[in-house]
Amino acid sequence: MSDGGGESGRESDRATKRKSSDRDFPQAIAKIAVAQICESAGFQGFQQSALETLSEVVVRYIRELGKTAHTYANSACRTECNIFDIIQGLEDLASLQGFSGASDSDHCLAGSGTVREIVQYVSEAEEIPFAHSVPHFPVIRDRKQTPSFLQIGEEPPGDHIPDWLPAFPDPQTYVHSPVTLEQARQHKKAEWSLLNLQQQLACNGLEGPSMIDPGDAAKARRAAETNPFLSAPLHFGEKGVSPVFLPAKLSNEAVVENQAGENHAVANHVSVLETFAPAIELMKSRSCESEEGRKKVLSNQRPAVQFKIEIGKKSTGTALDLSFQNKDVEKITSWFGKDNEKDDKKRRAEKILKESMKNPQELAQL
Amino acid sequence: MNQNQGGNDARHDDDSALSDFLASLMDYTPTIPDELVEHYLAKSGFQCPDVRLIRLVAVATQKFVAEVASDALQQCKARQSAVVKDKRDKQQKDKRLILTMEDLSKALRECGVNVKHQEYFADSPSTGMDPASRDE
Repeated sequence: MSDGGGESGRESDRATKRKSSDRDFPQAIAKIAVAQICESAGFQGFQQSALETLSEVVVRYIRELGKTAHTYANSACRTECNIFDIIQGLEDLASLQGFSGASDSDHCLAGSGTVREIVQYVSEAEEIPFAHSVPHFPVIRDRKQTPSFLQIGEEPPGDHIPDWLPAFPDPQTYVHSPVTLEQARQHKKAEWSLLNLQQQLACNGLEGPSMIDPGDAAKARRAAETNPFLSAPLHFGEKGVSPVFLPAKLSNEAVVENQAGENHAVANHVSVLETFAPAIELMKSRSCESEEGRKKVLSNQRPAVQFKIEIGKKSTGTALDLSFQNKDVEKITSWFGKDNEKDDKKRRAEKILKESMKNPQELAQL
Repeated sequence: MNQNQGGNDARHDDDSALSDFLASLMDYTPTIPDELVEHYLAKSGFQCPDVRLIRLVAVATQKFVAEVASDALQQCKARQSAVVKDKRDKQQKDKRLILTMEDLSKALRECGVNVKHQEYFADSPSTGMDPASRDE
């Protein structure tokens, strides 16, 4: 494979080379430099393997020169190298090929044959600057450090902990809390609200009342952008989540929109709505009171999930920094106020029956 | 005494020549960028804040590469002249000078670097097989 010889050809070759063989940025730069020098020597094309080999040799040359110079400096009880260390290194490396005055044992280093050859080369060769501007590397990334107690303004828990140490992480990150189910439902709620917003935007002619405030919508969108969990709407049943709650108010409006906006809606949204259709129909069949906006729970999918939500109790499990979620949690708590009681009573009755059924069996086994 | 003075003068000349050369190095921009040379020298433990020394290393490396390249070019031209004598028709095509592994390995052998290149790459199942028996 021969290079075109021009800059563009070299760049495209470089791009492919980077994927296959170039692990390092400096190696790629060395390749470019070597190619430029060979071009000035008269070559019009390179074999890829030959170019790689030569650049590898050049890198090793530099490293060997540095190592030798450093060794000579250390031998002279110094840590910093000076010009004479380099000249000695050059002489060592050029000893194979030979230079004028190599056999002299007591010549001054300043007048070494290697230096004279380099001077000659500099005076003869034309100056070819490197083709690209090389940034200062390696680039050290700025790591975001955890703030200290002092920076947060917290009191460290305990006298033995000084306040300049980094603060402890939030307890939600390591304490198991039963609020995770709520979080999942909040996610679903956010996705649903985002979906509805998108649908609203899709079907322009429809006059549908906005079920969420524009502030919430903006926040939901922002949350969707920042939070990867909200980026793509999940299909019904894709994620193992506790029962899907569909407030009747939303479901009614969604159904209206679905019927009217089917032509306009995006295929994705329609399909998600279709998956929600059985749930929506169930909701419609049930009578729902919408005086205070209290909604019923759809409790057919996962009866085993037992959650207890009390009115007025704020959820503290929001580790995510989304303010709108708190608002929705309050809404949810107001929804599931007293409508749950009947379902709970039914479930409790079923449980008691089951237990009573089990007990005689166990007794029989014993 | 005279010899010492003569020796001292010579040393001074050498020193001054060297310092002049180092000063002139700052005007000359070597093809190998300073950052690259600094990076690899730092990897091998070389420590020096002086930029002129880094330039010296860069220029020395450039000279080394130029020598190797010129040797390889001579090899390439020698091979081309041998080929051209046989077939005059291919003169147009062979004008392109390409750095091949063969020429490079010969040139590097003089510098003490032994580079052996692969004769062929077995990157497909039909490599090395007879053209007749290949399934294609």
